[in-house]
Amino acid sequence: MKTYIIRRLLLLFVVLFGVSILVFAILSLFSPEQRASVFITDVKQLRDLQEIIQTHHLDAPIHIQYYYWVKALLRGDLGWSITAQRPVLKALFYFLPNTIELALFSAPLIIVIGIWLGSVSAVHQNRLIDHTTRTLAIIGWSLPTFWFGLMLLMIFYGYFRGLLPPEALSTKANLYVQSAEFVRYTRINTIDALLNWKFWILLDALRHLVLPVITLTVVQCALVMRIMRSSMLEALGRGYITTARAKGASEATVVKRHARRNALIPVVTVSGWLIAGLAGGVVITETIFSRKGLGWWWARAAVQLDIPAILCAVLFNAILFVVTNLVVDLLYAYIDPRVTLK
Amino acid sequence: MPKLIEIKDLKTNFYTYEGIVHALDGINFSIREGEILGLVGETGCGKSVTALSILRLIRPPGKIEAGEVVLRLQDESSESKHPINLLDQTELLMQKVRGNEISMIFQEASEALNPVYSVNDQVSESFLLHRQKELCQGVLKEIEQDLRKGNSFFRRSILNMERSIYLRMRGNPSSFLLAILTFLPIVRSYKRRMVNQARTESIKLLRMLGIPHPEEVVRRYPHELSGGMQQRVVIAMALACSPTLLIADEPTSNLDVTIQAQILDLVRGLREKLKTSILFITHDLGVVAEMCERAVVMYAGHIVEVAPVDSLFRKPLHPYTQGLLEAVPRPGCKERLRSIKGNVPNLISPPSGCRFHPRCSFVMTKCSKRKPALKEIEKSRFVACYIHHQETEKNDT
Amino acid sequence: MREPKSKYQFWNELGKSVKPRVKELKFSLHRITRSPLSLVGLALILIFAMIAMLAPQLAPPKRLHEPYHIPRDGYAAAPQPPSAEHVFGTTEGQYDVYYGVIWGTRTAFRIGFMVVGATILIGLFLGSLAGYYGGLVDEIIMRLVDIFMSIPTLILAMAIVTALGHSLDNVVKALIIVGWPIYARLIRGEILQVREEDYVSAARAVGCSNALIILKHILPNSVYPMLILASLDIGAVVLVAAALSFLGLGAPVGYADWGQMVSFARNWIVGPPQNPLAYWHTITIPGLFMLFFVLGWNLLGDAFRDILDPRLRRR
Repeated sequence: MKTYIIRRLLLLFVVLFGVSILVFAILSLFSPEQRASVFITDVKQLRDLQEIIQTHHLDAPIHIQYYYWVKALLRGDLGWSITAQRPVLKALFYFLPNTIELALFSAPLIIVIGIWLGSVSAVHQNRLIDHTTRTLAIIGWSLPTFWFGLMLLMIFYGYFRGLLPPEALSTKANLYVQSAEFVRYTRINTIDALLNWKFWILLDALRHLVLPVITLTVVQCALVMRIMRSSMLEALGRGYITTARAKGASEATVVKRHARRNALIPVVTVSGWLIAGLAGGVVITETIFSRKGLGWWWARAAVQLDIPAILCAVLFNAILFVVTNLVVDLLYAYIDPRVTLK
Repeated sequence: MPKLIEIKDLKTNFYTYEGIVHALDGINFSIREGEILGLVGETGCGKSVTALSILRLIRPPGKIEAGEVVLRLQDESSESKHPINLLDQTELLMQKVRGNEISMIFQEASEALNPVYSVNDQVSESFLLHRQKELCQGVLKEIEQDLRKGNSFFRRSILNMERSIYLRMRGNPSSFLLAILTFLPIVRSYKRRMVNQARTESIKLLRMLGIPHPEEVVRRYPHELSGGMQQRVVIAMALACSPTLLIADEPTSNLDVTIQAQILDLVRGLREKLKTSILFITHDLGVVAEMCERAVVMYAGHIVEVAPVDSLFRKPLHPYTQGLLEAVPRPGCKERLRSIKGNVPNLISPPSGCRFHPRCSFVMTKCSKRKPALKEIEKSRFVACYIHHQETEKNDT
Repeated sequence: MREPKSKYQFWNELGKSVKPRVKELKFSLHRITRSPLSLVGLALILIFAMIAMLAPQLAPPKRLHEPYHIPRDGYAAAPQPPSAEHVFGTTEGQYDVYYGVIWGTRTAFRIGFMVVGATILIGLFLGSLAGYYGGLVDEIIMRLVDIFMSIPTLILAMAIVTALGHSLDNVVKALIIVGWPIYARLIRGEILQVREEDYVSAARAVGCSNALIILKHILPNSVYPMLILASLDIGAVVLVAAALSFLGLGAPVGYADWGQMVSFARNWIVGPPQNPLAYWHTITIPGLFMLFFVLGWNLLGDAFRDILDPRLRRR
């Protein structure tokens, strides 16, 4: 087991190497002038553009550029983000808590609801409940996330006069949270509110979470439901189900104990990708609801050509994906006794 | 020997896109107590469907249309055996019957076992489903022993609590209170003792089946076992509750010959030990000759002949049986193998009357008109063929 | 020595090989007509195709050489509700919503077909190379696929579009760059799987060359999964392109693109206090067009999957 993890982590570095090449390839699509402008914090410095290009080796041969770039990367210097007005790495940790909060509430919902609906759908195949869930799933899957979020806002914030508002906290709560009385442990609003025993802030944060979480969940849980359904259908057609029935097990036992355990295996993989891919959905959701998280930052960076921030987006997601894959594979080996780690 | 189970006029259909498959068209036969009955026929003639119909395991698009499956169930309270028609009973009762009174073992053992559960889990499941009272008894004995050891107050109060739970379970296994207790996270562990008890029983059972090192084997998963071992585990699952009838659906067809011999020996031995009746389904006439006392020959959803194995092999009456026996290669025989001319019929639009008539060398006009009934020609020999019906008619008049 | 076939024999054998295929085709058609959802999907796509084709008739362009530029009726900021003159109302800056959604249909088809068409070609080519040659070529291509697939589509597309410049053409290019890996992986997977099948070994034993095997056995078997993937992909591509336009990275302001039109509506979600839903048309209408377009393709893709996947066919 240990050797396997070590080997996978080494592979992680290989993939990261590949990703860094990709990111660097994107970077080199920009002209040296554009890339130099990243280092400028003041308009007067425009005169020194050539000097900057020289110092940072921006017109040197590609492999030398790559070397310096990786060197800076390993030092933790990913550049300066103009949209965040701080170094990229710091900006990453600044915006991370809000995104984690969103993911924390969405991911479990997506997985649990998807699994449950998929299971029910498969067991009652071709009956009304199956058709209904499948139709809803397809509609959910076809929804443009940004449109759905905006519609929800229109109804629940506009029509219902501020019932479920955008942003992370109301103004009042925000002021309190930034004051000295409130201790920031994790910078995640809900958790901090709990740790500070301030339940009104907790409720406020939750109220602001409802719409974004619904937006994210509806679209993604359609996928999980579909995978679970087909996986369950396949499991229900296998020989061991007949054996279980022939043993005299009740239908509920057969479904829960025998079929579901087998059906969950592919779902684990999909859930892993889902969590890694949540970052993509988060860009739109955070933008619409003005939650200042990673996605919001990256969206603004793309519009304002904040190159270091965009590259950070690519890098971050790649690392997230590879780590998630490793965790998923380990989980897989744990759940399915047929799988041996090689 | 008295009849254990009697199948009367069983009809099963499958509703598919291409049409209705008339898989079983009025099956009649019976299984006697303590006998090994062979059910012989080609692939696709309806043997497995018969087995599944007996246990009411036919699922959509299949449907058991008509008929009776009469089981003489040993009533717990009284000594007498009264017959019940399985096709009329509730699903709940059927669940009590399956794996308990009537068990089934399957052809493909690796498919029949659940890959994510260990051998222990799967064999114990049979005990946990049907032998709860006996397991509770064993647990209570264990608890008594523990109590006598003289422990701390805390330990003793836990033991007493466990004892009351198990006493309740022994009296009323499906009590609501127990269901709630199973739900609660920590309290749930009371089941541990029963599971361990079931595990002990499983190990005993595997040892009886001749599996070496059963304590090791129970920890394994199905994919770690050989084909023969897997089949033994399947047999163990089926025999856990000492069923009165064991249905063996081609259990050795997928195994190589040496393992096959071992499994057949095992099954025979079980009949001796447990006095189980066995319905042995196979397409292999050699196995029938070796194992069975009586045999039922099936063709395309019909029973064509029923006879004791000796007379069946010495003097087959139905043209189909004769064709089957002629097709068996004999050592030293240099002639070309004789096959039955024609093909197995499509069961969506089967031949009218006797379903074998298109391939029969002795076909008469009335064969295509009406299906011949299964008539007793000699003592306990039944044939569904007009050739022999004419003879009985002649004998009668 | 094979005997020369007579003409009768040839037609007879052809007939014999065609009959089961015809039967399967009839079964497929039967399944399509039996499934209401697939019919709905087909209907939706046909409706949108009609709208796209008849766009010049349905919404005559004011400037003939720039039909995708939505005409403006004035320069006032606040959107106007639907009226006789503007059937679906106007959005911010007085762009006609009706015109925008009609020509937006064309844009959607253009984007969808261009991206999916290109990604299929590139993916097929690279995937076949990887599967056929194996070894180093396979490794390189698969690492490339892994790298591309480790980053969510939207984010990678955002990065590429930022690098290339904000325009719809660059969005298409970015989506092509991001989209080919799934097809490559699919084809490679099919080739690898089929390579091990007994009928391929049999074909090789009879003397078939590799290329012939790929053409005759592998590609026909992989057409179905490609079809399913492609129809689901068109929907996904249009959604991502719309998201990019919504963020401001794609179509320029005033272009007939559904995503772009929704981005207009961002500022107008909540109307004045006495009528908070005043500007519903700016967001609802383009959004519904998007929803039904993607829904149509998803339904079709799903229907294909149920109908064409041999394992699911007979359920």
